[in-house]
Amino acid sequence: MKGHRDLELAAAGSIVCALIAVVIPWEPVRIVAALPLALFLPGYGIIAAAFGSHRLALPYLLMLSLGTSLAVLALGALLLNYLPGGIRTESWALLLTVVIVLTCYAASVRRPQPARQQGARHRPYPRRLDVVCGLVAIVAAIAALILASTPLPAGGAVGYTALWMLPHRFGAQDAVEVGIASAEHSPQAYTLEVQVQGRKPNRTIQLSLGPGDERVFELPVSPGRPAGRTAVVATLYQRGAAKPYRWVRTWLAAGGSAG
Amino acid sequence: MARQHVGVDGSSTAVIALCVGLGLLLCSLADALSRQTLDPSQVLFWGGVLLIVLPIVYRLSLREPSLGEGLALVATLVLSLYVVKVVRDPFLFTFPDEPIHAFNANQIVDHHHLFNANPILPVTAYFPGLGGATSALMTLTGMSSFGAGTVLIGAARLAFALALFLLFARISGSTRLAGLGVVLYAGNSNFLYFGAQYAYESLALPLLVVVLAAIAEREAAPASRLRSWAVPILLGIMAIVVTHHLTSYALVVVLVALAVVHRFRSDPKPNPWPFALFAGVAALGWLLIVASSTIGYVSPVLRGALSAILHTASGETAPRTLFHASAGSIVQETPTLARLVSFASVGLLGLGFLAGVGQVWRRGRKQPMALFFSIAAVGFFGALLLRFAPAAWETGNRAGEFLFIGLAFVAAYGAVLLLRSGPWLRLRRAALVSGIGIVVVGGAIAGWSWDTQLAPPLRIAADGRAIESEPLALARWVQRNAPGGRFAAADADARLILAPGGALAETGASLDIKGILSEPTLSTWEEPILRQHGVRYIVADRRQLATDVVRGYFFSVPTSSAEPLLPLAAIHKFDRIPLGRIYDSGRIVVYDLKDHP
Repeated sequence: MKGHRDLELAAAGSIVCALIAVVIPWEPVRIVAALPLALFLPGYGIIAAAFGSHRLALPYLLMLSLGTSLAVLALGALLLNYLPGGIRTESWALLLTVVIVLTCYAASVRRPQPARQQGARHRPYPRRLDVVCGLVAIVAAIAALILASTPLPAGGAVGYTALWMLPHRFGAQDAVEVGIASAEHSPQAYTLEVQVQGRKPNRTIQLSLGPGDERVFELPVSPGRPAGRTAVVATLYQRGAAKPYRWVRTWLAAGGSAG
Repeated sequence: MARQHVGVDGSSTAVIALCVGLGLLLCSLADALSRQTLDPSQVLFWGGVLLIVLPIVYRLSLREPSLGEGLALVATLVLSLYVVKVVRDPFLFTFPDEPIHAFNANQIVDHHHLFNANPILPVTAYFPGLGGATSALMTLTGMSSFGAGTVLIGAARLAFALALFLLFARISGSTRLAGLGVVLYAGNSNFLYFGAQYAYESLALPLLVVVLAAIAEREAAPASRLRSWAVPILLGIMAIVVTHHLTSYALVVVLVALAVVHRFRSDPKPNPWPFALFAGVAALGWLLIVASSTIGYVSPVLRGALSAILHTASGETAPRTLFHASAGSIVQETPTLARLVSFASVGLLGLGFLAGVGQVWRRGRKQPMALFFSIAAVGFFGALLLRFAPAAWETGNRAGEFLFIGLAFVAAYGAVLLLRSGPWLRLRRAALVSGIGIVVVGGAIAGWSWDTQLAPPLRIAADGRAIESEPLALARWVQRNAPGGRFAAADADARLILAPGGALAETGASLDIKGILSEPTLSTWEEPILRQHGVRYIVADRRQLATDVVRGYFFSVPTSSAEPLLPLAAIHKFDRIPLGRIYDSGRIVVYDLKDHP
């Protein structure tokens, strides 16, 4: 590949990007590395190899690189599906790197050695007004995205509270997990009652939750529990209200599991 | 290194960029007001869309842009309109097919292989191109299927813009016409939202246009370059075949038609018949060997469409009323002015077609693809008629997305005709710019319900904290507490249970779940049939909107009328069995079929 700067960059870049994608744990860094590795370089290498000595104009190169890269991704998964290991970070990184390096090598073989470029290149230099307009445009677009991803108050939306109950999942027998999650608009006070087999409340809990808060209780139900399957009912009241707000029910078998 | 000012073109590009940025901000602001349930006028939103579109059309109308500038303009347009979709849905996939495909991508990443079953749309599992490509981005970046899918469709739309521009430019020989053609394509009713959703067609259609662009370039290339162009064409064809059934069949039709036209014209240009043959064999092979269930999926839809056309044409069935919500529906109807804009856009496209088709015949008839586009343009107006047949409108809507490529090309000829030098040029230019603005806005109005053009509240702030809608909270709960469980749920709930819930969900007509969930009583056979099919959990949702795959994901926002709810008996019937009632958030209750006395 010596002498073909674009191919050298593509091949070396693919190796660096693949290593970053596999090794680095930070998502933003991996995104920066993985996007060219997946969405541009495979197509660039394939097109460079296919066209050999003929250099495509930039617009065609961009279109074909992007389109061919998308095709490689769609087909690459099919190939990985039948290879040992299947579809994983490492296999994707390896496949894309192999495609890019091999096609860049093939392109370098098919291409004649480039002539050394002479003279200074003229690059357009934007005016100050253009720079200002461009910056404002970028700021506006970023502001649009930030605004879109910012949760805003919505008084017209109906809030709610969720109550759930499951047999205790971590092996503790004769216990249930009861969760209460508030998605109300303001802090709320609740009373939680847990009854075993219809008897008087086994447990009563007073609690307050703010919007977005969740509380999970591990509640033993064994004291006074009759033999066999036991109905456990949790009822949630809004503080001061007599009418149940939410209720859930499960049956505990002797081993503590439901059903 | 010498410095050189960009000049007038640079300034106009900067001003266009500024308008686009501000347009996006306006759209985002309109969405923000909508998420706050402040019911803003949609003027702000459509103003933002026009601020993106009109400066680009104006620039294209001034003079022939260079290839690079034209490309930059259409790329800016298409990506900006995609961002309009992204800012509407910045947290989660909420378009009807998106959770289904996100589930497929998640399954691929979780299980490390393809072809995992999809309970809602089983056929999607046999076209793994989209899920496979998304899995690459998910595994390499660490992004969720939402993030990876959003980036992937963005890249596909960029490829679409570049390819369509270069295709039109090659056939017409004019970058201005090509640019106007791409802008006109944005007037396709599916362009702004439905066609931008994370779904297999959104990846396959851009690949189809890339293949067509490469074929057009190959026809113009010297003989020594024919093999070079064959590489991206073959790769593109294979990728389309594994990505989307209908697009692959459309590709076969296009290539066969082009091959036939070439044959009868004794064209000296290379006949694409080898590609037609390759695409035909690949699509048929994939259908027979891998995706045979596609026949059972597609044929009832086409049969239903055909039957609806015949019944509507014979007067047995009343024609569908456009922009009309069904009786008793809570869906807000499209305002009269918006309907007029939408009808005007079709009228303007018709004018563009009439003005352009003669030009295509005079100037482009030697190009087989130009002739094919003219036929497709006629086909588009035929597909429009399908919108009047109740069971065929969706078929017409989907077909329109493909046929519109031809219409955009022909209408662009008509648009350029309006810009010929002569008297009243400024006025004609202003008319053209306004007309294309109406086409784009009218198309978007026709393609998506008026009441859901802006973002409904999904994640909102309360007392300084973020809270999520009731069905989304259920999906999060499922993700934490019942991953991999099998649910029976209404359509919208089921989609969220798939993604982000990560569990399995049956819905709709499958196992008569729609009837089981909505009826006030339970027949004796219904509970056993759910158990026999491995369903563990039943999601009883009182919201009538839970069956609406467009509106069912969001916070309930009562308007002047009461929130439409199913009778309480629809939920209480499960209490009487009795079953374990393990989750209750008011409107949504989850029952466990394995949990009983």
